[in-house]
Amino acid sequence: MSDQIREQELPGIGRRYSVQADGGEVSVVIHHSGRRDIYLADTTGHQPPAVATLSDDQARRLGAVLAGAYFQPTLTRQIEAVVGGLLIDWVTLRPDSPGAGRSIADLQVRRQTRMTIVAILRGDDVVVVPEPTEVLQAGDRVVIVGRPDDLDGFVRHVAG
Amino acid sequence: MGLLAATGGESGRELVALGAALLIAGLLARAGRRMGLPTIPLFMAAGILTGPHTPGPVLIRDPADLGLLTTLGLILLLFHLGLEFSLDDLLAGGRRLLAAGAAYLAINMSAGVALGASLGWGGREVLVIAGIVGISSSAIVTKLLVELRRLANPETGLLLGIVVVEDVFLAIYLALLQPVLGGAEGAGEVAASVAKGVAFLVLLVALARWGRGPVGRLLGTGDDELLTVCFIGVAVLIAGVAANVGVSDAIGAFLAGQVVAGTSVAHRVQRLVLPLRDLFAAMFFFAFGLSVDPGALASVALPVLAAVTVTAIGCVVAGVIAVRIQGLGPSSAANIGLTVVARGEFSLILATLAVAAGLDGRLGPFTAGYVLVLAIAGPLAASRSHLLARRLPARLFPTPALSGKVSP
Repeated sequence: MSDQIREQELPGIGRRYSVQADGGEVSVVIHHSGRRDIYLADTTGHQPPAVATLSDDQARRLGAVLAGAYFQPTLTRQIEAVVGGLLIDWVTLRPDSPGAGRSIADLQVRRQTRMTIVAILRGDDVVVVPEPTEVLQAGDRVVIVGRPDDLDGFVRHVAG
Repeated sequence: MGLLAATGGESGRELVALGAALLIAGLLARAGRRMGLPTIPLFMAAGILTGPHTPGPVLIRDPADLGLLTTLGLILLLFHLGLEFSLDDLLAGGRRLLAAGAAYLAINMSAGVALGASLGWGGREVLVIAGIVGISSSAIVTKLLVELRRLANPETGLLLGIVVVEDVFLAIYLALLQPVLGGAEGAGEVAASVAKGVAFLVLLVALARWGRGPVGRLLGTGDDELLTVCFIGVAVLIAGVAANVGVSDAIGAFLAGQVVAGTSVAHRVQRLVLPLRDLFAAMFFFAFGLSVDPGALASVALPVLAAVTVTAIGCVVAGVIAVRIQGLGPSSAANIGLTVVARGEFSLILATLAVAAGLDGRLGPFTAGYVLVLAIAGPLAASRSHLLARRLPARLFPTPALSGKVSP
């Protein structure tokens, strides 16, 4: 265990792992039965802790979400602007992104995500209004426009 | 044995009685759960209410009719304890935890000896009473911590450590109690009884230590059904052999649990034994209730009151000492004291062994009253521990800065 996570045996119950978070301490108790309790104590300690109880299965799913298996907001998002309800943004593709190595037509970007790719920044090159046949590559910074609500769908579909 | 031997119409009547008894016990315990009460006192209450000593319908006239079923309850309670128990847990806690546990035991056992001596029920009874009032109910304590949402509290590791020390002590205490229960007289007989018991224990401890391979292979099957049948067989067989060589079935069952704990199937057995333990332990508590005559309860009211008072004070003092050793604050002391005050299965097991060995019959109603009061009042007090924490003098806690976390 790292320094940041404290581990304690709770005989007859299971194990407890505590981590200091902003504004309080988060403790996870793993029962022998597989049940998990998540305790959230505020720093003042005067409030009773908030507690969530999860089954083994639910805990694993939540763990996957926390670990970023479903969505990782690590894509560099340097510009983000909403102009009159229109979002202009860019995302960077990683080698393991679902869009890397596939063409815009192949990805059916507009039909699947309702976003439009208006430019691709690839190294020093700039592809303005790429053709549907353009193949996206790892490291591409893809400039998109669309409705703000559709951004997450695009990120899932193309950047992963 | 009645239940097992019964046939025909007799069997129908007994099955109706048993089924109704379990159902009443279960529903009563469910109602109690809503008020935050543990199951043990309510199973006992169901036994008292439907038993022969109270008005209303009598389901089961004689607790002996449940004979083997309740013995299985006792065996499974201790088998499970042996299974969960690990010396590593104890040693991992370090010297402070051992000191806190030893302080707890010293205070509460000596209070028990003093109480037993002042009751004047006899020398052997004094030793049994010391155990009855000295040892907490680990079942109630663990359940209470989960339900009061105190698992993340700073004192919880310490509190559970004290309970582990108590469990270790219980195993040794049961072994030492054997000559007392066996009715050995004279130094020679006592020595022989102790020697026989110790030899058997050494054999089992050796089996637990080095026999995990063969025992694991004996039990090792991928099939849960076969595993269940085999491990119950091992537990009951060892408990039975223990009883036959003059060591109690209780300690035999505990060590059977220790033997299985070292094997590769330990985790599966831990899971499989729970529903069986819950069922048969419920019958054990119910049968204990059946044997209780409210009239006899009234006659031991004063000793019960004295024992409850002594235990409550002893536990709070032990809680204060424990948190001083660890550098925690008053709320931790109140939480520990009012949680470990719960009494349950071990007190009832000790009383059952004592009464079966022919010791003073008043031990039965005394323990029933004592457990009923503390198993109900203990959890209710634990949930209001902040009221006690406020009244504990601050000078008892020299380093209040360390007590930052105040628990609910």
